[in-house]
This record gives sequence, structure tokens and C-alpha cells, in this order.
Amino acid sequence: MERARRRNSRQREAVTAGLLIAPAALTIIALFLVPIGYILLLSVTDPVVSLGHYRRLFTVPLYASVMINTFRTALIVTLACLVLGYPLAYVMARRNDTVAVMLLVAVGLSFWTGFVVRSYAWLVILGNKGPLAALYALAGSARPPQLLFTSFASTLGMTHILLPFMVLALYAVMRKIDPAWLRAAEGLGARPLDAFAHVFLPLSLPGVVNGSLLVFTMCLGFYITPILLGTPKDMMISQLINQQIEDLLAWGFASAIAVVLLGCTLVLLLIYNRLAGLDRLWG
Amino acid sequence: MLRNVPLLLAVAVAMFLVAPMAIIVPMSFSTAISFEFPPPGYWMGYYREYLSSYAWLGATVNSFIIAFASMLLTLAVALPAAFGYARYRFFGKGALNLLMMLPIIVPGVVSALGYYSFLSLAHLVGTHAGMILAHSVLSIPVAFLVIAAALKGFDRNLERAAMSAGAGPLATFLFVTLPVLRPGILIGALFAFLHSFNEAVVAIFIAGRDAATLPKKMFESIRLESDPVIAVVSTLLTGAVLAGVLASLVVRPGLRRRTPHAA
Repeated sequence: MERARRRNSRQREAVTAGLLIAPAALTIIALFLVPIGYILLLSVTDPVVSLGHYRRLFTVPLYASVMINTFRTALIVTLACLVLGYPLAYVMARRNDTVAVMLLVAVGLSFWTGFVVRSYAWLVILGNKGPLAALYALAGSARPPQLLFTSFASTLGMTHILLPFMVLALYAVMRKIDPAWLRAAEGLGARPLDAFAHVFLPLSLPGVVNGSLLVFTMCLGFYITPILLGTPKDMMISQLINQQIEDLLAWGFASAIAVVLLGCTLVLLLIYNRLAGLDRLWG
Repeated sequence: MLRNVPLLLAVAVAMFLVAPMAIIVPMSFSTAISFEFPPPGYWMGYYREYLSSYAWLGATVNSFIIAFASMLLTLAVALPAAFGYARYRFFGKGALNLLMMLPIIVPGVVSALGYYSFLSLAHLVGTHAGMILAHSVLSIPVAFLVIAAALKGFDRNLERAAMSAGAGPLATFLFVTLPVLRPGILIGALFAFLHSFNEAVVAIFIAGRDAATLPKKMFESIRLESDPVIAVVSTLLTGAVLAGVLASLVVRPGLRRRTPHAA
């Protein structure tokens, strides 16, 4: 009797939950999974039914070098964001004063300013009439080096754009580290640097993993900045997709590249999901 | 001395974050017709040009319409979903979470390609409706995350107290649950709005000319014509973000820093 009632109430709960969630879930299925599935379909049917696009993608050396370049760039950007972001997040998390607030404002400002605006800023800075070129001219160099439209420019721009994501991921974890533990370590005789290395650093590692994964996966598919600042000579995946559509109208092949990009991203995130649970990624 | 190293590094990195955006402001008053810095002279001409340009003002209006409409649609589905997710236990919760997060997991260019191909079947490419639908879906994860997080911190004893004091479920929801959750819901709505307002990749693919938003218009102007009005729009957008960030500090001092342990 009691058990039957409990089962009944649990069933009712499941129905209520289902009704609440159904609109969102169905929206995502109909207006997101279906379009994504459609490019999967296009990748093997446009212009003819075949796996030719994938064969081409995995056998032509040019495309292999695009893949390698994309992963290498994503790795460089991730490491750069980590090196730059760690001290910033550390200071933001450890201090509780105006400085911390000002740093948070700086991060918030760059986080909420759109990617196009920030890529544009780098376009001006690195351009051949920009401040760096002017500095070169002051130093007496007639021809400044070509900075814009290089993979350096696109790497720098992406580092700048993705840095706030790294900082916020680190900050979310660091903020929860109890300062009392560090004081305890120092009280027991550890030097500040030792206390950092043996207490703070290990505790901040989940933030390092979250931030790195977030930045790496965002960088793999980054579209705006490589196209505005980069060069077709060192293409990333998104540039290749763009080239196939814009110059060649090769929708089928572009779809196949997109599917491979999606596959790489999903594999990374599924590994993370297994290890840590995806709901922790966005803190 | 050594103690100050982290602070100096942090300030240097913060400068690296902010300085490139600071350069946009003098650019917007520049008389140069291309991207030249330092500017050869200053005037307000490109502000006038922005205010008299049909294309730029149209993109601005489109950005607001699309962001506002998709915010409403997003809330309409994300709000109940967050309740269902945070308050009930059911089979397949992990899979559902993955599904809800998919729109921010999938790289923008992949979604953009999918939307272009899919919406062109329904003749929705280049329309406001197509943009609103696409952006609503893309904003569901952020709104869902924010509202679900607010719900996890909600003390359900408040509802039980209201019920035992004689309030019905509807009255409890309207006069207890909703007011307590209002900050979380408003932040979720704001995030959804900004997510659409800043979104560029899908817009570049599907907005066409009629439904072009500011990020799309800027992207194309940079690529095609190096229009100096871009500096004006960038300055206005960055100024708006700065005002918003500062306002959030004034309105909610609690945002500054939560001290988890009384130290």
C-alpha cells in the first residue's frame, strides 16, 4: 500500500518533470539536432551519395596540415591563456579590495565585448598604419614587419578574446579555496611559495582543466578572428570551411569538414564528461 | 618584493585585456578614412555618418529586435526546463543536461552551416524569424544554467511555509517562488539577450541583408570596405558594456566577492 503510493507519486513527479522540460528539449531537438543532422546528411550526399568528401579530407596532405595547424594553434592559445590568466585569477581570488574589483571590471568588460569588436581592435593595432608600425617608424625602421594577416596575428587575437573565459573558469574554482588552509600551512612553517605550490596550486587544478578545455574547444572552431586577422596560407578548420563555401560553393565538402570539427569537439567534451561531469564545466 | 609579483603580473594582464579596446575610442573620432593610428586629426564626422546611415541604423535596430525576441522565446522554454531539472529526479538526467548544453558545445561555424542549410529549406534565411529562432536555441544553455543555479540555492521551506499558511500552489509560485528567484531569472534573461546581441557567426551565415545584426554588418564592413564607422559602433558597444559592468557593481555589491568563509 505504502509502496504503491510512493511509486505513484514518483510517477507523477516524472510526468511533471517531463512536461516542464519537454518544450526546451523538443526545441533543441527540432531546431538544433535536426539542422546538425542535416549537415551530416549533406556531407555524404552533396553533390552525390558517397563518402568521397571524408576520403579526400583524410588523404589529401593539405587538409591534414590544416588539421595539425588548427590543433597546434588551439594548444598555443590555451597555454598562453593559462600563463596569462593564472596570475590574474589568483590575485582576483585572493584579494578582497578595490584592486580585485577593478580587475574584475577589466575581465568583465572584455568578456562581454563582442568578438568582432575585439578583432577589429587588433586589426588597427597590427595594421600597417597602426601604433606598432608607428613605433617602428620612430625607431628608424622604414618597413615594419608584416604583422597583420599572419597566423601570429590570429593567435594573438584569439588569446586576447579567449583569455576572459580562462580567467573566469580559474576564478570560479580559486574563489572556493579557503584562505585558512594557506594560513594553516604557513603557520606550520611553510614558506609562502611552498604553501602556494603544495596547497593552492593543487586545489586550483580543476579550474585549470575547466579553463583549458573551454578555451581549447572554443579555439578549434573559432571563426571570426582567424578570418579577419589570419592568412589563408596557414588555415585553420573554420577558414577552410569558409573557403569551401565562399570561393567554391562546395557545401557538401564544407559539411564534411564541419562534421569532423564537431567530432573532435565532442570527443574532447565526452572525455571530460566521463571524468568530471559536464555540468561542472561552466561552473 | 616577491609578494608583489602576482599583483604586477595581474595588472599587466588586465592592461593587455583592456588596452586594445581603449584604442577604439580615439579611432572613432579620427578623420582617417582607413584604419590609421594615431589618428591624423579628430572630428565627429563618423558619428554623424553612423546616425544617418540606413544600413548601420537598420543593423542596430535588427540587433535589438532579434535579441529581445529571442530572449523572450528562450525564457519561455528555459525557465520551466530549469524547474524540471533542478527540482525533480528522473531517469536520463545526465543525458538531458548534455542535450541542453549542446548549443554552446557545438562550434559556432558548425551550427551556422547547419542553420544555413536547414533554414534555406524553409525559406527562412535572411529573415528576422530565422534569426530569432536560431538565436533562441543558441541562448537556451546560458539561460538554463543561470536559472538552474539560482533554483539550487532556493530554500523550499519558504514554499512549504506559504502552503501551510493556506496559499495554493499558484499563489505560492506567484508570490513566493517567483519574487525570490527574480534576480536569477533576470540575469538569465540578460545573458540570453547579450548572447544574441553579440552572436556573430550564425548571423554572418543566415542573416542576409534584411536581418543583418551589428556583428554581421561590422564583420562584412571590415572585410569588404574598411568603413571607419566601425570604430564608432565599436566605441558605442564597448561603452555600453562598460556601463553595464559598472552598473552591476553598484546594483549588486554582493557580486564583488562572496566571502565563503568569514576570514
